[in-house]
Amino acid sequence: MLNREDWLPLARKLDWEFSYVDEKEVYPEIVSGRPWLTHSAWKDWEESFKTSYREYVENQHEKDMAVYAVRDAVGRLENVQSLATPWINGLKVHAAALPLAEFTATIGNLRSARFGRDSAWRAMASFGALDEIRHTQIPLLLMHELVRWDSQFDWTHKFYHTNNWLAIAARHFFDELTLGQNAIEFQIATNIVLETGFTNLQFVGLASLAHGAGDYMFEKMVTSIQTDEARHAQIGHPVLGLVMRHDPEYAQYLIDKWFWRNWHLFSFLTGVTMDYLTTGEQRSASFKEFMEEWIVDQFFRTLDEFGLKRPWYWDIFQEELEVYHHMMYASAYTYRSTLWFDLVLPGPDDRRWLGNKYPKHWNEIEAVWQRIDDRWKRSGAGAEKEMSVHAAVLPAFCDLCQFPLCGGTPRNNTANTLELNGASYIFCSEPCRWIFQKEPERYAAHKDLVKRVLAGEAPADFTALRTEYFQLTPGTWGKDVYGGDYEWLSANPHSS
Amino acid sequence: MLIPIYGFVEGDTMGVLVLAEERESVSSLTSKLLDAVSLRVDVNYQYEAIYQGHVLAPDATVVQSDLRPLQRLDLKRKHDVPEGSHNR
Repeated sequence: MLNREDWLPLARKLDWEFSYVDEKEVYPEIVSGRPWLTHSAWKDWEESFKTSYREYVENQHEKDMAVYAVRDAVGRLENVQSLATPWINGLKVHAAALPLAEFTATIGNLRSARFGRDSAWRAMASFGALDEIRHTQIPLLLMHELVRWDSQFDWTHKFYHTNNWLAIAARHFFDELTLGQNAIEFQIATNIVLETGFTNLQFVGLASLAHGAGDYMFEKMVTSIQTDEARHAQIGHPVLGLVMRHDPEYAQYLIDKWFWRNWHLFSFLTGVTMDYLTTGEQRSASFKEFMEEWIVDQFFRTLDEFGLKRPWYWDIFQEELEVYHHMMYASAYTYRSTLWFDLVLPGPDDRRWLGNKYPKHWNEIEAVWQRIDDRWKRSGAGAEKEMSVHAAVLPAFCDLCQFPLCGGTPRNNTANTLELNGASYIFCSEPCRWIFQKEPERYAAHKDLVKRVLAGEAPADFTALRTEYFQLTPGTWGKDVYGGDYEWLSANPHSS
Repeated sequence: MLIPIYGFVEGDTMGVLVLAEERESVSSLTSKLLDAVSLRVDVNYQYEAIYQGHVLAPDATVVQSDLRPLQRLDLKRKHDVPEGSHNR
């Protein structure tokens, strides 16, 4: 009987020369990716885990049992009910955005399990696909059952099946990242930028905030998922290394493009949760500080490792790090009935804290919150007053990231337009415009929400838009967490 | 005929869609846009409408100002001195 060290390489490195078909037909560039190289260039592809299927199943079983044990101990409904209300709404954001996005990564991994250019890569991608099924099932299991208590948790399943504006943005991202992507771009974008980079915001930053919030179930869930990601993300490094050797300009483009695309998505998902839906005493660091420690530093190490340069837009990114998610949150608060979770009005202590953490433009953001304060003061608190403190015209959306046009600062919004082949496009930022112009054939046909309304594909009437197109109901659409009933607000009745 | 315009008001956190009527004055469109963002922006200032780098005449119509669909229109504060009810 062979030892593990003898049989495992036989199974993992099982490539052969094709006798009756061309290698390019087996691995067409459109699905396998570019640069297209013969297998001789890929034959030394290797990753460090070298897991067997038996070991994989045993490890995953142990991890699943640990998650179940934590759920049984601290993940019951009464545990969730004891959490701070804003944090529960941060959970709703992740419950909706996470599980089915993970499922699209199953499909991306399965594509690599067939079209990856070396058998060891394909073997690891098979495990990656199984991982992503697990990452779909765990949050569905843990969070969708909360629908019995709070109907907004229905969006755990529902989110990606709606045309909610945030779902359009998230779907635009994941459709490109995982569903409609070739194997090489998928591995670099997913493993290097998303999993080695931005998901650290969830696995380290948000997990630590969850611990502070007393949400041990969420903490356990994301740390358990992290152990899988750390393994299958290893695919990306040897893929990027080879692309870098053969087409460094393309490698740089993929890194630059996907860092920016991730940045905008995570600014909303994580930035909003960390800085607004986490209550004061639970905060250990700001979103910006987590970004700098866990994303930027790691990103620089990756760039150094591969001889890549900082993205050309780095100054723009650093400027957005100061203000973008604040622009997004203040905007979203005034359109909260277009979302499936409730939003909180930041109080004086929160604003002081945010002002200290984000001194560069906070005074401009503070002015917006004061305006909203004044509207609550004039209308008075209560569920029936919600729409008195709510915007009613259609927001405008970026034709690349599909998020509202919240780039720049309140003093200087950075939205910019483009005419191309007789059509008009608008972008929230220069990097979004740059990505679009690099691959217009990929993006030009996608209609943002405004264009859907103008084409008659979505209702122009705001109420119909929320109910028919976004699939919200008065019971599920977002409200102020406290119905505008804040002690500090009524204690300061001055209105401008 | 209605012309969809992307409106950006100084002090706001986002751009919004505003529908302009061809024969509507720039002043009327300005009021419409300020009303749309007044939840987030203190609109008690004097504003000027800027389109493709040019300040628009308040009395000119949308057509005379050559405002095109799905283009950016900015409202910038003329002076940082509150004007009370000048615009609204």
